[in-house]
Amino acid sequence: MKRLVLGGNDAVAYAVKQSYVDVVSAYPITPQTSIIEKIASFIGKGEMDARFIKVESEHSAMAAAMGASAAGGRVFTATSSQGLLLMHEVLHWAAGASLPIVMANANRAIAPPWSIWAEQTDSLSQRDTGWIQLYASNSQEAYDLVFLAFRLAERVKNPAMVCMDGFLVTHTKEPVAVFGEEINSFISKKETNALLDVENPIAVGALAFPNVYMPLKIEQNNRIFSAKNVFDHLSNEFERISKRKYNQVYTYGEDKADVALVAMGSNAETAHLAVELLAKDGIKAKLVKVVMFRPFPKEELSKALEGVEKVVVFDRNISMGKGGIVKDEIAGALGLGNVIGVVCGLGGVDVSETDMAKVSRGVLDGKVKDDMILWGEV
Amino acid sequence: MSIPKQEIMQSNHLACPGCGAALAMRLALKALGKNTMVVIPACCWTIINGTHGNNFAGVPVFHTAFATTAAVAAGIKATLEKQGKDDITVMGWAGDGGTFDIGLQALSGAAERNDDIIYVCYDNEAYMNTGIQRSSATPIGAETTTTPSPTVKDRPKKDLMEIVAAHDVPYIASATISYPNDLIKKFEKAKSKRGFKLIHIFSPCPPGHKFPENKTIEISKLAVETGVFLLYEIEDGKYKINKKPKFRELDDYLNAQGRFRNTPEEQREVLKEFIRKRWEKLLIKAENFG
Repeated sequence: MKRLVLGGNDAVAYAVKQSYVDVVSAYPITPQTSIIEKIASFIGKGEMDARFIKVESEHSAMAAAMGASAAGGRVFTATSSQGLLLMHEVLHWAAGASLPIVMANANRAIAPPWSIWAEQTDSLSQRDTGWIQLYASNSQEAYDLVFLAFRLAERVKNPAMVCMDGFLVTHTKEPVAVFGEEINSFISKKETNALLDVENPIAVGALAFPNVYMPLKIEQNNRIFSAKNVFDHLSNEFERISKRKYNQVYTYGEDKADVALVAMGSNAETAHLAVELLAKDGIKAKLVKVVMFRPFPKEELSKALEGVEKVVVFDRNISMGKGGIVKDEIAGALGLGNVIGVVCGLGGVDVSETDMAKVSRGVLDGKVKDDMILWGEV
Repeated sequence: MSIPKQEIMQSNHLACPGCGAALAMRLALKALGKNTMVVIPACCWTIINGTHGNNFAGVPVFHTAFATTAAVAAGIKATLEKQGKDDITVMGWAGDGGTFDIGLQALSGAAERNDDIIYVCYDNEAYMNTGIQRSSATPIGAETTTTPSPTVKDRPKKDLMEIVAAHDVPYIASATISYPNDLIKKFEKAKSKRGFKLIHIFSPCPPGHKFPENKTIEISKLAVETGVFLLYEIEDGKYKINKKPKFRELDDYLNAQGRFRNTPEEQREVLKEFIRKRWEKLLIKAENFG
């Protein structure tokens, strides 16, 4: 183990390099591009033995990833924003075909107007594609979650996405503990376990009449749900080599808090500071960080929010005509009536810990009674 | 040469009677053998290959999204190369809609990268699987459900061979099922060459072109004899005409198919002129770059 100063993108590239990836297929898009540049340079220098298909679009990036995965390779791709949206059709396909592709997504706002800055509406719009979604809130998590994503995806036969906020995580340089040889006890060369095999010629994805289609979809739903237990199991294994423990939902602060600040991605780092600010004022506050968004960690969130008086969800995303997506999911799944949603930071707008603390106080004081959009003076 | 005896594709498939595309696959797989993997997007072959649990092609098939054939095939090949399985041929098998229209970008990408795949377009000149809508492969003058008479197609068919030729790939060929020896020879050649290969197959469609189901071979032959469909190859940039058309009366071809029943006389003339010019251009290329 050594420490390198890395942004999230570089951290992901290092993890991919150490994950025995067979095929990379990718297309450039800001702020993801430096991941695939770094991978191209690893391959160019002979430090990584993988094929890199330089496709002509993200639609093809995911399509080529599917082919490579169906032939039994370990496959990685990366994208962001518009690129992820272009992939949408193929994301469904990869998940339906049970292909364990791993993708990094740099969360970026959606045009128009053009924006290259952080927002999670891109990946949350892919909520229903059947992909496992993991959210990193810093470079170390981005690095670690790539290894976990490969193991998880291959174990449950389902693709997995590691998301990190554009620039805030992808480009913020932080010390990252990078594995040496010890990682080989966690991840090794992929076993060839190909859907496509000339000795056993099956047709993948053939037409299914209704009474065949539905059971297959139930099976797919069970597959992705099984990722919850497998993640916990793998997380324990990962902790043994890394001393870092990952949970589907991470909590920090008072157990029976007056207020819980829920956040995903870089917002969680800010919310952590906000919890500390609130604690200084004698308010019992806790952070609830959503690491796994799909499959949805219902029980884990339920446990994390048990006995909490008020819940404030900070969403750096928006479902137009509805509100924050994570808030909606949590309130809906848990049947909670004490949840206030705060849409904030769209298109890379800074969200400060003081703003988060102010809003949380407002919720406790009863001044903030309904969902809100955090914009301008708080 | 003779047609290989081995049958890889199975009978009882779900093609319409007289389907040119079913015969095309049967012949293609005779040439390529069982070490072949096939990528099939939305097209008639989505149905022909059978419902879940079936696989009439007899080799591994990946059914994929409409626009993705060439990219998926490239991905499969990349893994096979990494695994050292160089003896497996990867074939994309798409209709004209999936090739000339929605799949053209992915096709161009794979051709430009020179990915080691065989891309086959079985061209029945319209969206037949959805019920005969015009594609950019539909010939001028043809009636479809989206070009009903009197608004028959008024633009010429896209030139797929020349589009792919512009990518400077090792092998491009046209073929049709009424010349099975020629077709098989081309698949064998494609299999033997590294890099991107395109085979453009003219594939008559009884319900779509509106002719009796026992006339498929005849229509295929007429297309070649009238000069509607030219049989040629572009191997490493060198043009070779495989069959000089007899230039039979175009009306023999048009009148045998209901889709041209409402083609106005002036459009028939435009089509004749189009065929003449295309042949002249091909001759010049064959003479200068043969």
